[in-house]
Formats: sequence, C-alpha cells, structure tokens
Amino acid sequence: MMLDEKQLQKLIRIKRFEQPPPGYFDRALIEFHRRQREELLRRSATSIWWERFTSSLWNFRVPSYAYGAVFGIFVVAASIIGSGIWIPYKDTNRIAVISESAAQGASARIALNGNLDWSKFDHSASSPKVVPVIGPSQTALPRYVLDGRPVSYKASFSF
Amino acid sequence: MDDQNLPDDETLVRRTQSGETRAFDLLWQKYSPRIYSLIYNMTSNHEDSNDLLLEVFSKAYRSINGFRGKSSFYTWIHAIAVNMTINFVKKRGRRFQLSLDDLDANVQNDKELIDLAATNTPTREVDLAELQQRLNEAMMKLSVEHRAVVTMFDVQGMPHAEIAKILRIPEATVRSRLFYAHRQLQNYLEEFRKK
Repeated sequence: MMLDEKQLQKLIRIKRFEQPPPGYFDRALIEFHRRQREELLRRSATSIWWERFTSSLWNFRVPSYAYGAVFGIFVVAASIIGSGIWIPYKDTNRIAVISESAAQGASARIALNGNLDWSKFDHSASSPKVVPVIGPSQTALPRYVLDGRPVSYKASFSF
Repeated sequence: MDDQNLPDDETLVRRTQSGETRAFDLLWQKYSPRIYSLIYNMTSNHEDSNDLLLEVFSKAYRSINGFRGKSSFYTWIHAIAVNMTINFVKKRGRRFQLSLDDLDANVQNDKELIDLAATNTPTREVDLAELQQRLNEAMMKLSVEHRAVVTMFDVQGMPHAEIAKILRIPEATVRSRLFYAHRQLQNYLEEFRKK
C-alpha cells in the first residue's frame, strides 16, 4: 500500500531528529567571529562600503509621499517657466539673432500650401520639368554640382 | 541566556545597527539552529551547511544597516538563507555526497514514527538509520525549490503564508509545489518499500 499524505508527513518528521553534534552552534559562533575579524582585515574599505551601499539599495523602498513631491516640483517649475518669471536662456541678443535668421529662412522656403512662388522655379529648356532652383547658401557649400551648377546641398547618401 | 529571556528581534536589530556586536550574537543564538536546519535539509550535507550558515550570518551582519523592518527579522534571514542555499545547490549540481547528522536519541521516544517506520520497511524491523538515508536520498531527488518548501512546511512546521513571504511567491504556488513534492516523495519511498 502506498504511503498516504499523513503517513508521509509523519515519516518526514524523522528529519527533525537529525541534529548536529552537541556544542556545534557555540563552536560555529566562535568560527563566525574569527571569520568576521579576518574579513575586516582582508577587505578594503571601498568594497565594504560598496556592499553596504548595494544592500541598502536592495532594501530601499520609494516612500509614497515622494511621488507627490516630484509632481509638486514639476508643477512649480512649469509655472515659473511658463509665466516668464525665469527664462532658461538669458542671452536675449542671441535669441533675437536666432529669431531673425529663422524668419529669413522661412520666407526663403518654397511655400507648399498651394501658393507656390513660381519665380523660384527654372523653366529653361535643359530642365523641362518644373524643378525648384536651389538657392546659394552663405554658409554651406553645394554637395553635388552638375555642369557648374549646384544641384543639391544634401549629403550624397540622402539621394 | 535562555531563548525565552532574549529581547525581541526589533530591539536586537536596533542594537546591532547601533554597533553592539553582542546583540547580533543573541540573534545568532536565537536563529542559528533554525537556519542550520533549513540549510541542512536542503543540502543533506553537514559540512556544506556549516559553511553556508556562516556565510548567511556574515551577509546578514553586513546588510543589517539596510534592514528597515518591513518584514520580520525571522522572514528576512530565512529569505537570505533560502536564496543562498538555492544558488549554492544549483552551482554544486550533481557533485555531492550525503553527509548526514546523527539522529537524536529522542527519536526512539516518538512511538508513532517508530511504528510507521516499522510498517514501511520490508523486514518490519526498525532501521531508522537506513530510513533516514532513504528519506534524504528521496529529498535530494526533488528540485531545490521543492525541497525548500518541504523543509519549511514538513520539517520546520511553517505555515504556507510564511513560506510564501520568504520565497516571495503566491501562497497557491507554495501549495502546488508542496503537493507535487509529496507525490514525488511518495513514489520514491514506495520504491524503497518494495525493495
């Protein structure tokens, strides 16, 4: 007959009677102290600090109020920046230069909203298709030149 | 000092955290037999258990400043012991030998166990040492995760909820592991009975 659940549990109880030799735990404590002393002498202060740091991280739990605090800081920062009390870029001259160049760039761009500026297109015989003329740039050199005329300012890999 | 007269764990942990090494010795006195039993029943080897016991308490001592009391010290140190033993057993693989502790003389006073052992041996003679050997061999055939559950539940008498906390698994998983492990042990011990 096979052992039933209760019989098995009773049988496993035999393991409760397996005991180390008498006085084992006292001797093991002395050994533990010896190893502790040895370890302190052997290990560098950095490794001890690192282990304590990592173990404290393991036990670290984010407190519930931290989420609220982070959200509060975000709201305050957003309202300060949004209201203009504080501007991240204090160099106003630079902002003006950037704005001006951006406006010029925008006017030079081809309008794609249906109101095309046809004066920007080349209708010559060599290019029967309607192709926008690529304007010369003050800062960038053409990347691709055909018959002495700049064809593209884009890098070759973007063709 | 008798275990009953020891200060509570919280006090001992706080005193250890403030640098009183004697307080940690009292924690050792309180928990080393249980932790040893847990490791021993998972490894079935006294020498390995001795090494691991020292390593578990060393780790606990080094990490005690990070212990915030979210769980009890009892759960915390058991979790360290189970994890370290599982890692050790997995690294050790199949290269091991049984090195069993002697049975306490009190086993002879457990009449129920003696009767049961007698009815489950072919010769009907109680050879407890052989039964111990077979039982340990059967335990070692279980996976280390199943062995941990059997040790904590059947040998140490822990409730399912406590085991679940230590292993950080749902209680239902503890029950299913226990069910499966018991089935396997029944089969292994049945083979022994037939021999």
